This record gives sequence, structure tokens and C-alpha cells, in this order.
Amino acid sequence: MLWLWILIGLLVVVIFALVVYFNRFNVLGNRIDNSLSQINVQLKRRADLIPNLLKTVKGFAKHEKEVIKEVTDARKALVGAKDLEKKVKADKNLEGALGRLFAIAEGYPDLKANQNFLELQRELSATEDKVAYARQYYNDSILSYNNLCKTFPGIMFARIYGKQAREYLKIAEVEKKVPEVSF
Amino acid sequence: MEYKRVDFRDEISSNKWKSFFLMFVVFIVLIIFGYAISFAFEPGYFFIIMIFAIIFSISYILISYYNSAKIAIASVGAKRASRSEHKEYYRLVEGLTIASGLPMPELYVMPSKQINAFASGRDPQHAVVCVTAGALEKFDRRELEGVLAHELSHVANYDVRYMTLVAVMVGMVAIISEIFLRSLWFRNRDDKGKGVYILIGVVLAILAPIVVKLVQLSISRKREYASDATAVKFTRYPDGLINALKKIKNDLVKPEKQVSKAVAPMFFANPFKGLTSTHPPIEERIKKLERM
Repeated sequence: MLWLWILIGLLVVVIFALVVYFNRFNVLGNRIDNSLSQINVQLKRRADLIPNLLKTVKGFAKHEKEVIKEVTDARKALVGAKDLEKKVKADKNLEGALGRLFAIAEGYPDLKANQNFLELQRELSATEDKVAYARQYYNDSILSYNNLCKTFPGIMFARIYGKQAREYLKIAEVEKKVPEVSF
Repeated sequence: MEYKRVDFRDEISSNKWKSFFLMFVVFIVLIIFGYAISFAFEPGYFFIIMIFAIIFSISYILISYYNSAKIAIASVGAKRASRSEHKEYYRLVEGLTIASGLPMPELYVMPSKQINAFASGRDPQHAVVCVTAGALEKFDRRELEGVLAHELSHVANYDVRYMTLVAVMVGMVAIISEIFLRSLWFRNRDDKGKGVYILIGVVLAILAPIVVKLVQLSISRKREYASDATAVKFTRYPDGLINALKKIKNDLVKPEKQVSKAVAPMFFANPFKGLTSTHPPIEERIKKLERM
């Protein structure tokens, strides 16, 4: 009789652990997918802001054709990019082109003082932060998922459910976020 | 000292567990206290005292827990931040919600020249973040971001829930001590042989509130350090927070009259200079951040 109870107790523990780990894997997996789509959302938002910016710039600095074209092309590359790695790379190019555009804008006092322009400039740098944060969160999510897959007892359940560690986004981190270290 | 990265999700579960543990401890303390008191008086008193104390404290817990955000906002006279007027504020918090995976909190501005901020709400779904107008004006973007990240860390770590429970515990112990000490006036004169228990009861009644208050303050200080660390995890940029703390340290605006001492623990920096106990010294916080 006692053995039966022990057996039932063990069974309950095993089923409980199976359920908990099944949910844990799925919650963390969903978090990765969700943060991935967040990166896409922010990149799209960034691309959507560019036409407005260019319209404003053209109003004040029509003959800066070269840099305007550069930004336009970079945006096109971003919109046309198929997978995430290409998109993030295109976003980097776009950021460089925008940097040059904003540097040139310094030479146009009217443009520099334009409320619309300033607002777009702030909005663009905010979306750049958001892209960086979304990538950071994406990598963090993969970290917790992989920790679960590779540490005991998660590793056993990972085998049972056929879950595998996931790949990180393979792009250099954005430099802005790295603080200078001084000792 | 090396900075150990703490995943805020681990921190959440440890805080949830601690909250549960705390409730359990409160319950035990209550029983032991009641038992000691019942020895000093008739058992009949014990039940009456306990029933009143429990009803009172449970309603207190529930009301302050479910309305923590509303109470906090109302007590400092904060107004809802308008999206068109405080674009930068919204943008920064949006960025941080992406970095932390938290839902968007409600944003408030408190009309005060002082530099300060606080967060409240029982869980991330009901969170509010409030900054002073002085903070919006004096901080640059990175500094404000650091402070907002610190406040969101309190939300992510369920600090409001935890600190509410701690405060309730402190309040309950104080109330029971008070009831006991006052009830001594109405004691029957013929209680011979109960002197020892009464003496123990009196000592407990005097010491217990002091001890739990000290525990509360020490927990509160620990939570501040934890929030600084989590804020850095969100922004990966300790300098923002460091500069913000330095700016607060050098800020000379006089403390606000409208800030009640009861809400001091939830602020980013202590609104009362001199009463530094709810927060660790700013210098210490800067030192720890510089090591990250």
C-alpha cells in the first residue's frame, strides 16, 4: 500500500515537472519570436519616417542632391531587405547616411531651426535606440532560452520535447551603448 | 568587485517568494504576539484584539495594495503627462519597455522644481511612472533615461508589491504594540503572578516596532541598489544614471512641503535631505554604478 502511494507521488511530481517545463519552453520561445517581430516593427517605423524628413530637407536644401540620394537609397535597401540580418545591416547604412545628412543640415540655419525637422531628428534617434533595445532584448531572450536548454534539469526536458538552443543575431552590437570603461 | 548580471526575471521570482515568506512571517508574529498577550490578560481579550487587528490589517492591505498607484499619484498632486507635450518622456519610456519587455506604464508629471521620480502600481500591468517637472527640465536625454530605467526596474522587480507588504507588516506590528501598551491601563488589579508576562509583553511591544522598522529601511535600501543594477541591465549605459545622481546631489532646490514622509521610500532620491535612511547615500550608489 505504501509503495503504491510513493509511486503515485512520484508520478504526480513527474507530470508536474513535465507541464512546468513544457510551458517554460514555450513562454521563452514565444518571447524570442515576439522580440524578433519588435525589431522589425522598429525598423519599419524608422523607414517610414524618412520620406517626411527628406521632404522637409528638400524644402530648405534642395541642391544637396548627393546626400539626399544616399539616404533615399539606404532607405530603399532597408525596405527591400528580405531577412533580419540584411535589414539590420541596411539600417546601419541608413544611420550613416542620416548622420551625414544631419551634419550637412548644420550649415542651413533655417533648416536647423525648423520645428518639424528637429522633431523628426529626435524621433529618428529615438527609433534607433528602440532598435538597439529590441535587439538587446532579443539576445537576452535567447540567452534565457539557451540557459534553460543547456542546464540541468532543463536539458532532460529539452531532449524530451526536442527543443534546441537557438542562434544569436550575428551582427556587431551598436557602439553607442558601450560605456567607456575606466579603472 | 565584479558586477554580476542579475536577470530581472530571476529577481521577480525571488521577490514573489519573499513576499509570500513575509506574509507567512507576519502571520506567525501575529500569533506569537497574541499568545503572549493572552497570557498577560484573559484569553477573551486575545480573541477580541486579534479579530480587530486582523480585520483592520487585511482591509488595510487590500486597499493600499489595489490602490497603491492612485494613492501615490494623488498624494503628490501629479498630473497625467500629455503625449504631445512630453514627447521625449514618452519616447524614452517606450524604448525602455522594449528593452525590458514590460508593458507601457501610465506616465505622470509632478509639478515640482525638485529633481525626482517614482514608480508605483501593484504589478507591471498597473504600473505608473511619475517624474517631477524639475527632472524633465534639468536632465539631459541619457540622464532622464537612466532615472526612468531605475523606476521601471522597481516595476519589473515587483518592488511596490513587496514594499507594500513590508510597510503593512511594520504597520501591523506597531498597531498591535500600541493596543497592548494602551490596554495595560485597563488591566484588572488582581492579576497577580502575571507580572513576568506583562514585562515580556511590554519589552516586546517596545522593541518589535523598532526592529521591524529597521528591517524595512534596510530592505528599502537594498531594493534601491538592485534597481540601479537592473536599470543598467536595461540601458547598458551606467553613465546616464551616474550623471543623473550627480546632478541630484548638486541640486539645491529646497525640499517640497507637499511630499509626505510616508511616500518618501518610493522616490528615486530621498526628497528630504537629512533623512537619508530610506535610500542609500548617493555617493555609495554612484560608486557601485561606476564599478559596473
